[in-house]
Amino acid sequence: MTRTLVVGLGNPILTDDGVGVKVAYEVERALASVDREDVTVTEASVGGLRLMEMMIGYDRVILVDALTGCNGNVPGKVHRMTLGDLRNISPTQHSACAHDTSLVTALELGSQMELPLPNEISIFAIEVENVIDFCEESTPAVAAAIPEVVEAVLAELGLTPLCTN
Amino acid sequence: MKRITIDPITRLEGHGKIEIFLDEEGNVANAYLQIPELRGFEQFCVGRPAEEMPRITNRICGVCPEAHHMAATKALDVLYDVEPSSAVKKLREMFYEAFYCTDHTVHFYALGGPDFVLGPDSPPAERNILGVIHKVGVDIGKQVIACRQRNHHVIKMLGGRGIHPVAGLPGGWSRAINEEERQEIEGYAKENVDFALFSLQLFADVVLANQAYVDLILSDAFTHQTYYMGTVDENNHVNFYDGMIRVVDPEGSEFVKYEAKDYAQHVAEHVEPWTFLKFPYLKEVGWKGFVDGKDSGVYCATPLSRLNASDGMATPKAQEHFEQMYETLGSKKINGRYTPVHYRLATHWARLIELLYAAERMLELASDPEITDPNVRIVVTNTPTEGIGSVEAPRGTLTHHYQTDENGILTKVNLIVGTTNNYAPIAMSVKKAAQSLITKGTVISEGLLNTIEMGFRNYDPCMSCATHSLPGQMPLEVTIRDVEGNEIERLSQYI
Repeated sequence: MTRTLVVGLGNPILTDDGVGVKVAYEVERALASVDREDVTVTEASVGGLRLMEMMIGYDRVILVDALTGCNGNVPGKVHRMTLGDLRNISPTQHSACAHDTSLVTALELGSQMELPLPNEISIFAIEVENVIDFCEESTPAVAAAIPEVVEAVLAELGLTPLCTN
Repeated sequence: MKRITIDPITRLEGHGKIEIFLDEEGNVANAYLQIPELRGFEQFCVGRPAEEMPRITNRICGVCPEAHHMAATKALDVLYDVEPSSAVKKLREMFYEAFYCTDHTVHFYALGGPDFVLGPDSPPAERNILGVIHKVGVDIGKQVIACRQRNHHVIKMLGGRGIHPVAGLPGGWSRAINEEERQEIEGYAKENVDFALFSLQLFADVVLANQAYVDLILSDAFTHQTYYMGTVDENNHVNFYDGMIRVVDPEGSEFVKYEAKDYAQHVAEHVEPWTFLKFPYLKEVGWKGFVDGKDSGVYCATPLSRLNASDGMATPKAQEHFEQMYETLGSKKINGRYTPVHYRLATHWARLIELLYAAERMLELASDPEITDPNVRIVVTNTPTEGIGSVEAPRGTLTHHYQTDENGILTKVNLIVGTTNNYAPIAMSVKKAAQSLITKGTVISEGLLNTIEMGFRNYDPCMSCATHSLPGQMPLEVTIRDVEGNEIERLSQYI
């Protein structure tokens, strides 16, 4: 059985930062009605080493996170990225915002340690507007993107919206 | 005035920006650390039930949720006027020591270590945890990961959740452990002690055996004489979970010792026009600016500060290393206690001594028969009004202060987080490091910029670290501005 982990990343009380967590909740709800023991859905507000450690033992990981700092930022715009893309947008290799190191570096460390890490990591990144104010609600444009991302994650899991209705 | 901006700071938690202002001569006039601050936390909390605070505040920070969880839980003890049982205190403390073991480990190996193990002048692309592993061996990397894994397991077991613990209750703890779990934790604690000793040996072999690094530690660029703060037990030994807050002056004499609830009598906050950050200082001494010395109210709250503020460590092996550090760095023993070490880079050493203490203390607690007491909850009956709780976060003394109505609904919330204590010392360290390295005609190279970063990295600052959005673009960027603040040159390094 291929084991898949879906991680909603972010802080659920920091406006748009929590959009990944909101998507994860929706995905979890959609999966409740189908028999998919191969999929684990979780939330986390960590990066780097801790995120890498969460992935140990899974074959495939789908990350959902907020994206800031884009040129011409369009809140609510969704990007599907690979680890390679992440490498490109984080060229310093140790510049991530986490306590320790970037995810790219952490995964490299994990593979050097011969840890059983996933072969496939896909990332859904949602461009966001506000990650400064404490609030449980996303801004409207970002909130409006949630169904699209949920559908995309479900499609990635081989589920069409029909299966989950 | 010319301005140099280092943005972002690699390996700093959260996003910060260093601003270095040059004068007409090209020398450093001023240097500041700018930090984006999250907004509206008090407003977010007011109107919510106070008992939610251990679960809300641990969301502030993805790095030390355990510290917020514990400070909030202790504030609830006071708010509801309930004294936790001795077994509850021990369970909480054991959980907290497991957290310290992970946190201090990752700082040394991923953040502070790269500067020493690889050297400040090594290429930035190598100066990270991979570089450390490459230099010291894959087996050490495996030990680092194993240390984190076993302690995260303990945190999850005791805290009820892996990342954001939920076990803290007013006067209690929601999760007791059985004998089997106790034995498991005891085994992990023994491994932690071995790992801490190993890490201290590595520090001795790699850092202390290298005269260039010792000279760097002892250099004036990384030295500041300030007051020091830390929590101590009844024997004036370092304690992370509970005790009195003790402050010593730069010469090492006790300046004040107070209960956490009295913090507002002793600490005030200074405001500067260039930043929204507030700079805590000792009220009785007063704010004299970003300056060293006994007449300046600036204090520091870090691993080194905690050791400086204490008379020693409560566990035997940590005490041996404590003495070794003070002897090696030339500290004198006056009235039975060592005079403070002012070399800021020694904070990395102090952090490893604390790692050893955390491991030894965890072992003591895991071996205590009382730790499996199943009675860990208490029925709360008192009417709440006000509660202040404090712990030592890895980054400094953390204080939570809540006021509520008679139904326990929050009316006021104030937090002084660990790093906040150190804002003034960090600004001073950045300026001094910059002054020693940027003079007229000096070419700004990555090695120089990184040395400035070393000036603040030892504080392990945690700035607005609650955001975890993917970065869009993060090169190391240097902006030089002319007298009017116009950008005259921008250097980007894709490292």
